[in-house]
Amino acid sequence: MIGKEDALKVLEKVLSFCKGFEASVTLTASDLSLTRYYDNHIHQNLRRHVQALTVRVVKGKSTGIASTNLLDDGSLRWAVQAAVESMEASGEEKEFPGLPKPEPVQEINCYIPATANLKPRDRAEACAVVIDAAKARGLQASGTYSTGVREVAVASTTGVRAYHVGTEAFFRTIVQDGDNTGYADRLTRDVRDIDPQAVAEEALGKATLFPEAIELPPGRYDTIFEEYALADLIRFLGMIAFGADAKQHGRSFMARRLGEKVMGDNVTIWDDGLDPASLAVPFDAEGMPKKKVVFIENGVARGFVYDSRTAAKDGVRSTGHASEMRGSRFVPRPSNMFFGTGDSTREEMLRSTKRGLLVTRFHYTHCPEPMNVVATGTTRDGTFLIEDGQIVARVKNLRFTESMVEAFNRVEAIASTARLTRDWWGTFDSVLPCVKIKEFSFTGSTMF
Amino acid sequence: MLAELNRILGLAQKLGAEYADARYVSITQEPISVSTDGAPEVSVSRSTGLGLRVLVDGAWGFAATPYIDPRSLEKTADEAVKIAYASALRKKGDGVSLTPLEPKRARWQTPCKVDPFSVKPEEKVEFLTDVVKAAKEIPGVFRATATIMSYREEKQFMSTDGREIEQTIVHSGGSVAVMARGEGDVQSRSFADYAGGGFEFVESLDLKAQAEKLAQEAVELLKAPVCPTGVTDIVMGGSMVALQIHESCGHPIELDRVVGQEATFAGTSFLTPEKKGSFRYGSECVNIVADATLPGGLGSFGFDDEGVEAQRVDIVREGIFTDYLTSRELAPMFGQESNGTMRAVGWENIPLIRMTNINLEPGDWTLDEIIKDTKEGIFVDTPKSWSLDDKRLNFHFGQEIAYEIKDGSLGKMLKNPAYTGMTPEFWNSCDAVAGKDEWRIWGTPGCAKGEPVQVVHVGHGAAPARFRKVKVGVGA
Repeated sequence: MIGKEDALKVLEKVLSFCKGFEASVTLTASDLSLTRYYDNHIHQNLRRHVQALTVRVVKGKSTGIASTNLLDDGSLRWAVQAAVESMEASGEEKEFPGLPKPEPVQEINCYIPATANLKPRDRAEACAVVIDAAKARGLQASGTYSTGVREVAVASTTGVRAYHVGTEAFFRTIVQDGDNTGYADRLTRDVRDIDPQAVAEEALGKATLFPEAIELPPGRYDTIFEEYALADLIRFLGMIAFGADAKQHGRSFMARRLGEKVMGDNVTIWDDGLDPASLAVPFDAEGMPKKKVVFIENGVARGFVYDSRTAAKDGVRSTGHASEMRGSRFVPRPSNMFFGTGDSTREEMLRSTKRGLLVTRFHYTHCPEPMNVVATGTTRDGTFLIEDGQIVARVKNLRFTESMVEAFNRVEAIASTARLTRDWWGTFDSVLPCVKIKEFSFTGSTMF
Repeated sequence: MLAELNRILGLAQKLGAEYADARYVSITQEPISVSTDGAPEVSVSRSTGLGLRVLVDGAWGFAATPYIDPRSLEKTADEAVKIAYASALRKKGDGVSLTPLEPKRARWQTPCKVDPFSVKPEEKVEFLTDVVKAAKEIPGVFRATATIMSYREEKQFMSTDGREIEQTIVHSGGSVAVMARGEGDVQSRSFADYAGGGFEFVESLDLKAQAEKLAQEAVELLKAPVCPTGVTDIVMGGSMVALQIHESCGHPIELDRVVGQEATFAGTSFLTPEKKGSFRYGSECVNIVADATLPGGLGSFGFDDEGVEAQRVDIVREGIFTDYLTSRELAPMFGQESNGTMRAVGWENIPLIRMTNINLEPGDWTLDEIIKDTKEGIFVDTPKSWSLDDKRLNFHFGQEIAYEIKDGSLGKMLKNPAYTGMTPEFWNSCDAVAGKDEWRIWGTPGCAKGEPVQVVHVGHGAAPARFRKVKVGVGA
């Protein structure tokens, strides 16, 4: 860990090298420790310190970018010089609004020493709990336990000074019984929230429930999505539809529909980078404070996230959602999405289902039709048939292909609780409930 | 730097490592892009550091640091060994053992005519400005972007087995993407390709001509009917065949996936060990090789990150699945030596089994002959979306463009095409592969795998091919 004082000192030094130019400097650093296991033994185990300092120099409407992972004076001077040379090659951007002016940034305590100081042996012992539980049932466990400290600091010649440090821990497992698998994970700032035994039991329960999987034909099924699965249903809304650049290019389904009803009355989706229920970071890659942005309110399209460039184009203020694209422009993207809770429970959803499906999670989702946010992907690690309010069978995995806009017009029930959840790819960490969607479209099946 | 590598290996051995390897890597990248709606983006980045992998009591540990001063080397060795001791708490049986390697000193460098970093950024900007201008001149185009990527990786590897390898890997490539906007619709066309080599490769791509063609197609797509759903024959362009190879052959043959090492993220594989040597993966015209020695391949190198020589390996021969991509740890499952596919991204990651250049060997057709021989079907090209189940059986791929095929001729253009299927059935339905004249190595710089995710450069030799009775349409 670099620490606030040293991080800002490095940034001040870089700014002092930028004589005759405006400049913005970002320093990101990550101490990552990670243990992976499969077939009931640990096979990968690492610790690494990765950092990147990115300099953006500006003269008039020309910008240039360079980055280095070394923080000695020679490397910092190289980065400044390389950024200047890049700027000289790049020419002017007529609509460049200039570097943003500083705004007050709220400090949030997101650093948990217990997470930062977790030792390799502590991680191995937590993994051993799951391994031993699986072994005791004659099953195989695979999984990952990662802990880390992430730092970000931003400074600019316009006066921006921001620093944040946060910890995170992610513990997940798949328990395997032949082709039958069960999944569970916990994502948190504080490792003390992780109960390996509970994770093991959740995954074991899914892996062993109804050992004989049946085949179901593709079709429309009333479907209950656990939080893990919902993470992949909202992923493409975040990637494709909620950024102001998508609005300005006309690529978002909401581009010309602000104020219109686009989803069901019971659907509210927003972004709040200050809410401690998420992995909050109080400012973005430009050092601008995060603001709460409502995308969908009771089914009505309400807004987009902005960085300073897209904000200037629309004559509004940045919402603090500049996302780092190293070596390129920032793009505005959601950072901490929330899906509004309802008044139901998973059990009530099960009881109210005459014939339908329960989906634990998805694998390798993608978006073949971005304009209508048509997503596709396959279920994994626990898909079950529900009949007359009860789970009656394990189902071989299915492929869904469905417009997320249309699907969120058919949300029948939403759980009253939500949890911090990471989608399969790790694009977003969102706070999500379990939901039930009527007549969800499954278009194919697989063999396991 | 070899002195520092030697020093850290010695430290690791002193702390109890029975095996260790260390890599010092320095990567320089220069992505340059020009868009019609803003100034060119020119940037350069450098990342340098050292990664140490150790085996202690038959269990792995890895630590990485950007610093190579004596104190950092000691700390990194200490961390790697302590981590390995923790891994030993739940190690497999008697622990990991590696296939033997003879000591060797070697150097390797990507053959390269024009160092891509010797071409000034100003020249690249001018080159790209011409490319996007060609696209923007087509009425209906609202945005065009063109890029050039230059990449150099300098790597020194040393192991306690006595391997000392120095490599310089140079990659170059370019892309162009065009968007056209209509009433409630946006259609995109794109082209991208990358290779092991210098700026001469970028010049060979003729991005300007590509931009004009893509722009016309993007505008035309706005008015094109949606690809209907149904079952029909499909003829695929080379870039689409390359993606099909990547996703439905390249990943399932990674032996670490097969044994379950990637289960929690990337998934496993339907190509289970008993299938090796007998499973009918595809029809008789399907011949697939993994070739890390192919000149110009984006997945070519001299030695992998275990110090094993790059190799050419048969993967599928006349439709029969014959071999996996392996490592020194997993190759003994079949009584084999490693075929040299362990690669790490940068200095900060552990090596994993990765694709090299996974190539569908050319057949004896031409694309014209294939189309003339097709009574009814669609021609599809350029990947737009890709999704597979976690064993790589069920897949769904979307494309940017399609054309109807009727009675041996290309017909009307179709938008939003897609097809779906099951991997072995699909490859068994392949009955025509175009020949050498239409075969090229497609560079894929975005192959993701592992936790934390490592994005590696790989290549795929491919030519247009035909597949019979495939389900087509996004919702098929």
